[in-house]
Amino acid sequence: MKQVIVNPEKCVGCMQCMLACAVAHAKSESLFAAVQETPKPRPRVHVGAGLFNQGFPNRCRHCDPAPCQLACLTGAIFRDAATHTVFINPDRCINCASCAMACPYGVLRFHEDTAAPPGKTVAVKCDNCDARVARGKIPACVEVCKTGALIYDEMGHALDQKTRQVARTMSSDAAAQGLPDTVALYNTLKQATVKAGTAIRR
Amino acid sequence: MKHLIVGNGIAGINAAKAIREMDTTAAIVMVSDETFPPYSRPMISYVLEGSEPHEKLPLFAGNVYEDLNITPVLGNRVAQLDAKKKIVRLENGADIEFETLLIASGADARHIRVPGSELGNIFTMRTQKDVLDQLKAVSQGVENALVLGGGLVGFKAAHALLKRGIKVTMLITSPYPLAMQVDETAGKMILRELEDHGLTVKVGVSVTAFDGDATVENARLDSGETLDCDLVIVGKGVDPSLRFIEQNDIQTGYGILVDKYLCSSIPNIYAAGDAAETFDIARQTRWINAIWPEAAIQGRIAGFNMSGRKVSCPGSLGRNVMRIYGLDVMTMGLANPENTDNFEIIQAGGEKTGAYRRLVFHGDILAGAVLINQIEQGGMLRAMIENRVPVRIPRSCLMSLDFNYSQLL
Amino acid sequence: MFEPRKDVSVTSDGNQLFDKAVKDNVETVWHRHDAQQPQCGFCDMGLSCRICIMGPCRVDPFGQGPQAGVCGADADIIVARNLCRMIAAGAASHSDHGRDLVEVLQAVSKNEAPGYKIRSEEKLLRVAGEYGIQTDGKDPLAVAGELADAMMEDYGMRKKAVTLVSRAPEKRRKIWENAGITPRGIDRETSEMMHRTHMGVDNDWVSLLTQGLRNALSDGWGGSMIATEVSDILFGVPAPKPTMVNAGVLKKDQVNIVVHGHNPVVSEMVSKACISEEMLTLAKAGGATGINLVGVCCTGNELLMRRGIAMAGNHLMTELILSTGAVDMMIVDYQCIMPSIGKVAACYHTKMISTSDKARFPGMEHHEFHPDNAEEKAKTLVKAAIENFGNRKEVFIPVTPREAVGGFSIETILAALGGTADPLIDAIKAGKIRGAVGVVGCNNPKIKHDHGHVTLIKKLIENDILVVDTGCVSVASAKAGFKVPSAIEMAGPGLKEICGSLGIPPVLHLGSCVDNVRILVLVSALADALGVDISDLPVAGSAPEWYSEKAVTIGVYCVASGITTHLGPMPPVTGSMNVVKLLTEGLNDLVGAAFGVEPDPEKAAVFLTRVIEKKRKALGLDSRTV
Repeated sequence: MKQVIVNPEKCVGCMQCMLACAVAHAKSESLFAAVQETPKPRPRVHVGAGLFNQGFPNRCRHCDPAPCQLACLTGAIFRDAATHTVFINPDRCINCASCAMACPYGVLRFHEDTAAPPGKTVAVKCDNCDARVARGKIPACVEVCKTGALIYDEMGHALDQKTRQVARTMSSDAAAQGLPDTVALYNTLKQATVKAGTAIRR
Repeated sequence: MKHLIVGNGIAGINAAKAIREMDTTAAIVMVSDETFPPYSRPMISYVLEGSEPHEKLPLFAGNVYEDLNITPVLGNRVAQLDAKKKIVRLENGADIEFETLLIASGADARHIRVPGSELGNIFTMRTQKDVLDQLKAVSQGVENALVLGGGLVGFKAAHALLKRGIKVTMLITSPYPLAMQVDETAGKMILRELEDHGLTVKVGVSVTAFDGDATVENARLDSGETLDCDLVIVGKGVDPSLRFIEQNDIQTGYGILVDKYLCSSIPNIYAAGDAAETFDIARQTRWINAIWPEAAIQGRIAGFNMSGRKVSCPGSLGRNVMRIYGLDVMTMGLANPENTDNFEIIQAGGEKTGAYRRLVFHGDILAGAVLINQIEQGGMLRAMIENRVPVRIPRSCLMSLDFNYSQLL
Repeated sequence: MFEPRKDVSVTSDGNQLFDKAVKDNVETVWHRHDAQQPQCGFCDMGLSCRICIMGPCRVDPFGQGPQAGVCGADADIIVARNLCRMIAAGAASHSDHGRDLVEVLQAVSKNEAPGYKIRSEEKLLRVAGEYGIQTDGKDPLAVAGELADAMMEDYGMRKKAVTLVSRAPEKRRKIWENAGITPRGIDRETSEMMHRTHMGVDNDWVSLLTQGLRNALSDGWGGSMIATEVSDILFGVPAPKPTMVNAGVLKKDQVNIVVHGHNPVVSEMVSKACISEEMLTLAKAGGATGINLVGVCCTGNELLMRRGIAMAGNHLMTELILSTGAVDMMIVDYQCIMPSIGKVAACYHTKMISTSDKARFPGMEHHEFHPDNAEEKAKTLVKAAIENFGNRKEVFIPVTPREAVGGFSIETILAALGGTADPLIDAIKAGKIRGAVGVVGCNNPKIKHDHGHVTLIKKLIENDILVVDTGCVSVASAKAGFKVPSAIEMAGPGLKEICGSLGIPPVLHLGSCVDNVRILVLVSALADALGVDISDLPVAGSAPEWYSEKAVTIGVYCVASGITTHLGPMPPVTGSMNVVKLLTEGLNDLVGAAFGVEPDPEKAAVFLTRVIEKKRKALGLDSRTV
């Protein structure tokens, strides 16, 4: 079974996945109409900044067992056996935030949502784009990711790829982490800039 | 194999589910004094406040006993455990044999013992029945409610009643509510928020007696004052339900002492949830963390161990999250150590900022945290406390609203 | 919100005013920079393209995803096109600034600009001579008119080369000619750059970047140079003057007016109004003891150079200055004015005034200045500022001002040296001064405020390298105390000796960012005196905290003029190794200079020192290993 696999080293922080995710979960599923909708569609994938301001697409891992599911007070969080997706039933959710306290990745958000009863704030997170996948599409975040930071693949196949890549790195320039010259240069300069900088969060 | 589970709370239910995952044929008997289907205990305050109906309390759509092939023995309390003979005797005199036993009997609310405490409309707040009774009283018209205790239960009861538009007075011994969970700054923010919504708080006073005909009408305080009240909720804490255990039979502290497999001093007898005294990760000592998510996890772990799959429990961690009008409050671990000598505490924000964050470090290990508003990252902090991984990144990162998982990689 | 106090700056007023701003719930450039993280890597690497709407497009730097835009442009083309458009925008900005000055010159010649006049007849005649204008016995105003026309002609495109290219050493001009980068017209090169980067025109990244060089040269030896020269003609040739710097120049008991932007056309008139008796009387009647005009950014530098007007801060201080609550009015013209400052001012009593028909801002009152009404407008505004003095609330001026000397034009530097560059050349030959570095450019929230400037300059003067600075750097170095004669104590022994004997600081303030052309004039003079090319001189350039398109253009015209230039923040070019290699190595073959990128100012100092010592060696002078 294919699933979304994250290669964080390839994220350039363009946030395209956030836009696409919000649009995919909008009534209209169109960017231009989605921004006018109420409630405003929001992304389930969150691109955060790492210690060197590098991008990182943070999304639900659909853990098994899922800590959020175990912590859910109402049984609103459940796993779909067929797709291994952890879902939140917005009708059962009471917005208690127990799942946010349980999630070690910080992916839960609380807001109104097109899928929830109108006016109700509920816990929201990645649903693996089940609606799109049912229509034969791939998850929206993967569709828009042009760097391979988010891919849709069989886990076994992805692991094979990764293993081969690591093997190549070991045999050549380890310092470059197997990255293209351009990216290696970019990363080096970016890190140096952040070191000379003062981002107030640090 | 015959498994007996005492208690149909989340610990008991999750244990049964775990056993079923491992073994589709083993016999599972579940004893409980509650006849209501397994339900979400933390949700009862939502029912009291009126945001969720009582019918939504059950955790499962169908009959969970049938679905999991459990033999339920409901409406019965366990009277006695004979650990040597591996028999449990019920209050109705029936005996049930077992090969493995899980004590997931939970805890009972403490009552107040003063003259008049047997009057009507004086409640504890522990079970779905408690809240049904309270709702009945409320439906007959309640103007002034009195809440005893500023702990989690008292605070949740007060919050729920305020939301119903009832005038609430809270009597607490510490200078602010939730003193066991949060520090003073956070506590004062919470107090202020509740007061802004009509709560009256009296500090350092207690009830000496209640007066009334059939139902309570007023409370006399040790300060000499008399308060009108037509509903009282007692939030004085809980005690593990262990009366059926013979002294010296099983090693107990305040609860049943368990090892990392949640096994008691007697092989094949396990304990989980509010009745179990586990190792507190943040405090680094034995402790009962009588909270739902711990019960849920411990039940699952106990179930695996009962069916022969060795799974260890890393210990327990106190934690809570609640939404109080405009404040979202999350607290975890050792958020407010009494003796701060060996701790480094970072805090920022406060009443003026509308948000607050406090981190308690023991060396380079995160031991506790309080978050008020912007709580989405709380789970990462909880995981850091629970895993006891040394914090290698600048601590200010953890204080930032932009803190995210990639910074931990 | 939760962050414990952080130092955003190496300056005390910067940090204290940042705290004040945070306390007052003012959102600053640092907050917005944080909120933007992570910034888009495609854009940061120059790999995104919005030029046409078959796109927008981006190229995957990891090689798996798309490797060309819809039109087929690959990483090299996209990166080159983006950089070239930055150059065009920078050249356009400086040059349009220059054009506004020429228009004032034109109006003055027709007596249509009350309040403005020819302040340096000597310079007028000299520059007119360079333009081949017959000046003997002519009325200066007539000369001014002819010069304005001739300069306007430079903007057009009927000539072979912009006039002031003739100031460059002959060897340099030959290089440009051979490379095909002699700028032919100021507007022409920018127009052509925009044309070439349109979809389906120039799709050879080398050819694109070559035009980029020519476009930048049209600014350095054209638009910017005209801006500086006409400013000198209209407002006077700068001469060294004592002044004060940092936020402490704001005065509690006086009406504080801050001018912000770049063009002296507005600020000069404001400065004139501020010293008029009429206004002073009004101010006193309003309860103030006087009117205190101070500058931020380059319009402040223009005033400092010619009038010794104090500087309250540089780019990243422009929001913070307002959080003193002591600014009664801020008058802006254009460039580098953050659109946020109207909102910042709204938290205080400060009146915000925009003055240019081409630069409007949210939260500002618009009072359009033209040559014919500027004098009157300035008075009206100063009056309004005086009226606003009474509306002040809490005032927080955290520091006391620091002394500095500014106003070194090439003319005054040569005068200080006794009329020729010889003493400087002798000191360089003797190795007492190893060389010179022009430290220029902006602030950028990516670098701790002023950290790049101050750290680099300190290291350079320690190594006996004379520093000249302009723009935002000049405020940073003045605040750090490098701009007083006693600062020679921080210099190496050789530099200390020379500057000490001349009574000048080891860091010379050459003016605003258009005044970088003064550096071009100075190095040309040195090169001519030695009979070499600019690229042979032991000099270099640096922009340790640059942020703007104008800075890109300045960097490119410096390199194209033969000055190897260091950049602190990386430009958005890392998406193409070809472009990177051309900029950092290949240009050496073409123009004898190249770029170096190094965000860490300590390492940048080593890089620059090496460049200088290498040049010394090639000239046959003694050389140190660094």
